[in-house]
Amino acid sequence: MNALLDKKAKVSLVKPRGTSASSSNKGRVLAQKEPNELNQFLIRIGESKDRQAFVDLFKATSSRLKAFAMQCGASSADAEELLQECMIIVWRKAHTFKPESGSAITWLYTIVRNKRIDMARKSRHETVQSDDLWAEEGSEELEAQISGEMEGKTARGMLKHLPEVQKQVVFKVYFEGKSHSEIAADLDLPLGTIKSRLRLAMKKLENVAKEQMSWLIIILMMNF
Amino acid sequence: MANYHPNDELLMSFAAGQLADALGLMVACHVESCPKCAEKVRNFESLGGDILNQCSEEVVSDSLLDETWAKIEMFERNKVSQESFEKAANEKRVNIPRPMRRFIKEDFDQLDWSGFSKNIQEVNLNIDDERYTTKLYRIKAGSKLPEHTHKGTEYTLVMQGSFSDKSCKYNQGDFILADENTKHQPQASADADCICLAVMDAPLKMTGFFGRMLNPFLR
Ligand SMILES: [Zn+2]
Repeated sequence: MNALLDKKAKVSLVKPRGTSASSSNKGRVLAQKEPNELNQFLIRIGESKDRQAFVDLFKATSSRLKAFAMQCGASSADAEELLQECMIIVWRKAHTFKPESGSAITWLYTIVRNKRIDMARKSRHETVQSDDLWAEEGSEELEAQISGEMEGKTARGMLKHLPEVQKQVVFKVYFEGKSHSEIAADLDLPLGTIKSRLRLAMKKLENVAKEQMSWLIIILMMNF
Repeated sequence: MANYHPNDELLMSFAAGQLADALGLMVACHVESCPKCAEKVRNFESLGGDILNQCSEEVVSDSLLDETWAKIEMFERNKVSQESFEKAANEKRVNIPRPMRRFIKEDFDQLDWSGFSKNIQEVNLNIDDERYTTKLYRIKAGSKLPEHTHKGTEYTLVMQGSFSDKSCKYNQGDFILADENTKHQPQASADADCICLAVMDAPLKMTGFFGRMLNPFLR
């Protein structure tokens, strides 16, 4: 399981898919109608431990969760173990999912991110674990945190606004945990280029977020 | 509210789950007390959701769903003991930020402070992390550290009190990055001892006569 966290041994075998220009559009087409459906599955599991909703959610997301784990460097077997751990969390914690503060896919993302950390660390008390880094969903600390102006609203669908070269750098951060200088070495590009690509990506994301936020503010104001 | 924040590179790596180490703990402490950075992290998590969403599909073993049900049923049977265990682990000590509570086991005053001078004391935190050394520093109210630069990178989070150097004043929650180019002489403000969490990937390097004299005793 340590391979999941080992930054060096990673990914050279598994090529991040979204980074190549030829990546298929299948996922994107699915995504158009899925978010709402995923929300519904999670809500039904959370409210009434609906077993059919769990099966549906499993079928709709398991292959992507497994692919995500493998892009983080997991073997197929490890990826399935991680997937299973995530699904158990989904069953146990679905009631903490709040559709008003983020999408179902983002909620699932935070679970696979956290479980990936913990699986590699299982039995060692002195290591950092995901619940040190992020307060448990629904806890007081988190409530306080998202009671900010936007009540936890986040921008959505940001990735599609980024050009391929910026995406490639972002993938290296999320899947491989690379620092700017490691990415520069990987891609055989000057550090300055990587820094400016990420800076541009951040700017873009910030603008997209702001745009969506200002619409939100307008909607909120119209409700008053 | 904090005036000095982790940069976007750190916040993105944190949201990506790639800072599962002492530095991540420090970023977590800041983020929990800084709505501005918390919002950025939520946006980077949303980007993580997008990334998960576009992952191409990997074939999952047919038996995995049944195996997952079996585990869930086992969990449901043991539920009661699980929940009480979780509650017990969640004790509170108000002045220690939540992310550090497992690693700082007592209140600041009861920690095993040591140091070559009454003015500056330190305690090593036992975090199993191959890359960073993690310490708490306590600078006595009003006192000044010897001027020093840093070999490598050092991150500092003000946990209690405040300190200032030539140009700036840093208060509770502020997140400061120092590197080879930072040469400073921090001074705790007069009203209270200043406690800082420091994560470093290389030892402090003292400059100036006084600094050079002290250096061998620092570690
Ligand atoms: Zn901040």
